[in-house]
Amino acid sequence: MSAGLRLALPGGALFEDACRLLSEAGVADIDASRFDRQLKIATPTATVVKVRPTDVPVYVEMGACDAGIVGKDILWESPRDCYELVDLHFGVCRLVLAAPEGSPLAQGRFPQSLRAATKYPIAARRFFDSLGLAVELIKLHGSVELAPAMGLADCVVDITATGRTLVANHLVEVAEAGRSTARLISNQASLKTRSEAVNQLAAALRRTVTAGATPAAVT
Amino acid sequence: MSALQSPARGRAGGFADWIGAAAQRRRLVTEAFLDTFAVWGYEYLSTPLVEPLETVAAGVGGGLQAQLFRFMDADGSLLALVGERTVSVARVVSTQLQGVRPPLRLCYAGPVLFNRPPLGGRRRETMQAGCELIGHSGLSADAECIAVAAAALERAGVTGVQIDVGHADFVPSLLDSANLDAESRGRVADALRGRDLVAVEDALRGTDAGDAERELLLTFPTLRGGREILDTAGARISAPGPRRVLADLAELWDVLDRHGITASVHLDLGAVRDWDYYTGPTFELFSADLGFPLGAGGRYDRLLAAFGTDAPATGFVLHVDRCCDALLRGSGQDAGVEALRLGYSAARAGEAPALAARLRQAGIAVALELEPTARHREEPVVEGMARLDDDGAVAWRYRGEEGRGVEALLAAHGRGDAP
Repeated sequence: MSAGLRLALPGGALFEDACRLLSEAGVADIDASRFDRQLKIATPTATVVKVRPTDVPVYVEMGACDAGIVGKDILWESPRDCYELVDLHFGVCRLVLAAPEGSPLAQGRFPQSLRAATKYPIAARRFFDSLGLAVELIKLHGSVELAPAMGLADCVVDITATGRTLVANHLVEVAEAGRSTARLISNQASLKTRSEAVNQLAAALRRTVTAGATPAAVT
Repeated sequence: MSALQSPARGRAGGFADWIGAAAQRRRLVTEAFLDTFAVWGYEYLSTPLVEPLETVAAGVGGGLQAQLFRFMDADGSLLALVGERTVSVARVVSTQLQGVRPPLRLCYAGPVLFNRPPLGGRRRETMQAGCELIGHSGLSADAECIAVAAAALERAGVTGVQIDVGHADFVPSLLDSANLDAESRGRVADALRGRDLVAVEDALRGTDAGDAERELLLTFPTLRGGREILDTAGARISAPGPRRVLADLAELWDVLDRHGITASVHLDLGAVRDWDYYTGPTFELFSADLGFPLGAGGRYDRLLAAFGTDAPATGFVLHVDRCCDALLRGSGQDAGVEALRLGYSAARAGEAPALAARLRQAGIAVALELEPTARHREEPVVEGMARLDDDGAVAWRYRGEEGRGVEALLAAHGRGDAP
């Protein structure tokens, strides 16, 4: 089995589903609440650490962990030398371009110059490039939806799961820039030197998510 | 105000000072590599740290070109610090060594630099050592490079090395035979290059790819093992392109077997390397102690043509600093060698330099004290120290032994050097 593998899990929205998936797949029997008191738990089958979502690719690329679970949205912004092995289907969210209600952009008319606030500058740049639009990006670290209301930006490129935050801030979705789900990633050397364990891990998680055993695994 | 500005005490991120045992380890590993290359008949050469930007860019993969340190020459042309050294060797082969009869066996060691974003935990200056075997297109040349790389790591004391051997043509030829339209083929290739297997699956969905090819492309990271996986894969593939690659790998395996190194070799049909650069067998070296490859190599028959010399070539690079990391993690051993401190009484100060010279001749590192040892009779001799006393006797403690007399000290040194 995945004996001795070191796995990085993302704290935050994906955390409980990630723990449940590992347990159901028989990878490591862990309960999310155990991480209230500690950040590293060694089970008979794997060592599991809880880190910030943006840090998962760092732990995995540098070889501090063999594999990790992380949202695709994090991978967009953190291009690192890791293998992306399995789409785990949970943690579904979308990256959207949204503009204030009533603005020309909200009606589908792209002005000649545009300022967009986002926490996802790399994915946003790729999206605007694909449309051939020259947009000035403003990187923010939180509450992006506030930027148009305060005149900081004309629009936002942000993640939404339900769309409620957009509505509450009088923003309208203009276009979808990307879709994100949780992914299993692996260190490049671990895939070679611990290939049996990593491949078994990937197969077990793939089986579990396609069987729909995880409640969140509906697409 | 002083005309002199005080210099910064900080250091640029991603760069390192090498001190003490770490510095010694780094030097010994580099020397072990170069010594190995030399006994396999590879001639040492040294190329500049700075090359024209377009030269440097030809040697590093597309994704790394944006991460070169670049600057402008006096005439406005662009220069870069080298990001790898094979391209410089190729330039030399195509110019100064143009008339030399092939095959050429060349080796090098030196720093390479990348302007990586700081704080990522990755080094920006690293030491690389490597070999290039130029002018021979046969698999025996590819096998030799793999054998030299393995021997160099062994000599440096890096244990538990795993060698992954693949072929640059396998995945592209599989894509060619998979009945894909150009756009899907491009998407699959990009996804493979990006190591994104989820995107590979997405790109294959809804295409007319044959079942065998689709399955191979999807299960590609598991296509690893000994010679038997060539039969497993061969049974599922009928297209001539991929089958030719499988035959090449079978032959390469047999040559590696004659070199006696197949015990640590895995064939890796899913190896994804820079297809624009590599043209034949490729390999990477891994240690269980490290998350990055220790080294990599392969056949690159197109590079020399870019310099006007159409010659086949194969070679490899070893990452000295990663090998040092692996050594440190594997054993934690301290490679440091401290010099023997040689003290002397004031009366014997005249003889001390000659005694130091005699010990150094025997290979002992000796640091001669700068002042005569005061009250030396009362001080005990400590480990790593020798003392020439008033009566001409030499008391010493060295490598855990203790004794008197120069002959005994030389004998102790000889015992320490014995394997």
